Amino acid sequence: MGGPVLTEWFATAGLHKLETYEKLGGYSALRKVVTSMTAQQVIDEVKISGLRGRGGADFPTAMKWSFVPKDHPGPKYIVVNADESEPGSAKDRYLMENSPHALVEGAAIASFAIGGHQAWIYIRGEYDLPYEMLREAIAEAHAKGYLGAHPFGTGHALDVRLYRGHGAYICGEETALLESLEGKRAQPRSRPPFPAIKGAWGQPTAVNNVETLSTVPWIIRNGGAEYATRGTEKAKGTRMVTVSGDVKKPGNYEIVIGVTYRHIIEELAGGYLPGRKLKVFWPGGSSAKVLPASMIDTSTDLDGLKALGTMGGSGGIIVMDDSHCVVKGAARLLRFYAHESCGKCTPCRVGGNWAVRTYDRILANEGSQLELGVLERVADGLQNGRCLCGLGDAAGWVIESTMRHFHDEYEDHCLRHTCNVGAVAAHA
Amino acid sequence: MSALSPHVMEEIKALPAKYPQPRSAVMPALDLAQEELGYLTPEAMSEVAVALQLDPGYVEGVATFYTLFHLEPVGKHRFYVCTNLSCTLRGAEEIVEHLRGAIGVREAGEVSGDGLFSYEEVECMGACEYAPMCRIDHRYHYDLTNQKIDQLVAERRSLTSGPASAPYPTPLPDGERDIPKPKRAPRKKKSG
Repeated sequence: MGGPVLTEWFATAGLHKLETYEKLGGYSALRKVVTSMTAQQVIDEVKISGLRGRGGADFPTAMKWSFVPKDHPGPKYIVVNADESEPGSAKDRYLMENSPHALVEGAAIASFAIGGHQAWIYIRGEYDLPYEMLREAIAEAHAKGYLGAHPFGTGHALDVRLYRGHGAYICGEETALLESLEGKRAQPRSRPPFPAIKGAWGQPTAVNNVETLSTVPWIIRNGGAEYATRGTEKAKGTRMVTVSGDVKKPGNYEIVIGVTYRHIIEELAGGYLPGRKLKVFWPGGSSAKVLPASMIDTSTDLDGLKALGTMGGSGGIIVMDDSHCVVKGAARLLRFYAHESCGKCTPCRVGGNWAVRTYDRILANEGSQLELGVLERVADGLQNGRCLCGLGDAAGWVIESTMRHFHDEYEDHCLRHTCNVGAVAAHA
Repeated sequence: MSALSPHVMEEIKALPAKYPQPRSAVMPALDLAQEELGYLTPEAMSEVAVALQLDPGYVEGVATFYTLFHLEPVGKHRFYVCTNLSCTLRGAEEIVEHLRGAIGVREAGEVSGDGLFSYEEVECMGACEYAPMCRIDHRYHYDLTNQKIDQLVAERRSLTSGPASAPYPTPLPDGERDIPKPKRAPRKKKSG
């Protein structure tokens, strides 16, 4: 199965300092890349690893890089999506706070792989500490001559720069992030053109997640084949998960893809609080369709989750036990999606608020059969690609999946005006 | 008389050169303006627009889009309390209620009588494993309890000259955390 990848050195104190990071083997991957490899060789090595994007979309990283045109005459950019804001997901913050140099090194390698010279890390504004640590890490790398006009004495200039977001969930969507990076309101673009052709500032761009790029130096150091020994047949490697909610030990854990949610929730995260039972969990951030307690033995295999209609997403596992009400939980999440809708597409702008008002009526004991029907229709209206990005879909999934698995709780609220938390069995 | 001081205006004018296209400077510029004034006044946004050669309406459009730009006065120390699902499951609503009493305000956005505090309920800030959590004075505070809120408030009341930043970097020893136990017990089934 092999050992950890991302957290391999996390037990070492002071890993955020270049000196420590380098002593363990850090920056040897970037050195190897710029002094002895071609861009194509880097892409090939990552292709062998099978690495797929860890921001939620699960797209093969090497393929994304290979879409960036090689013969483009102007600048090309790597943009790092460090705008982590999926409810339940905190792993990018954890990675940046523990090992900022891994991200800097990974971003520089990615720039080299697409034949670019600049990587821009778009980091959410609330992440003050990771921002400061990255700023120092970049400065240290420049001072050592690992970044700059002549990294490791070679001629391929590399630079990593920082840009702070200002609080907008929609920036996790790559084209909205690019709009924001260009100084605009963050509203998704229609595609094509895709970012690989016309991305940041109108130039070819690959947008990668923090975790994805933090994995890349390890792959270069140890080989793509070694990475591919971990994981399932098609979903290779390890990934970070954040476990939050009703467990004894909430935290960030690196898992080998393919372990079960039971292993993560009951062993790594210490299981449930005394006297409580699992009711439901979100397997990959609040946008992933919920799975009831009966599906705790589901594998984290990304393709298996897709087959179930849900996703591994951004790795945020939210655990809810029998002391909490699913309807209230869903209502809270719909308030989130309505608030974060950028307003560009009508189904999402209108549907989100409509759902919130309906939930408000239900929770004020003013619900009826009518409200159940409204929720079903709104959930349908939000989904199925009616909008430019996935925010509306995600809002619809929350309603649809909670109603499907916990229809009796919805009926209790709407038809009987009761909340039977603590006594309702989950139905698959 | 201008809203922004000359040295801030100089800093803002130097920003566009740092980006491949000058428009990217708008958010960093608004940041500088907000840092000086505490919130973005219409005059400040106009001055930013002039300095960056952008339309004032455009600059305001950007400022109103993002949660971290404030268009109304805020307390000197502003609590951003996460009330998204993971934090709510671990008692964020009780924390907000306690916070209101501790700083003496009735609702989000209201500034306390002494001008020191205000609070805002915000969406997930990416520290779900430490729920409930909040951000104040550019630092995160984890595993909140009512006592921790009281402490954060008291520390800031006793300060005369701005808050001290947390020591850098904040250590994150998972094993040594004191995770508060959520108080709520499962409710009994109602009859009928």
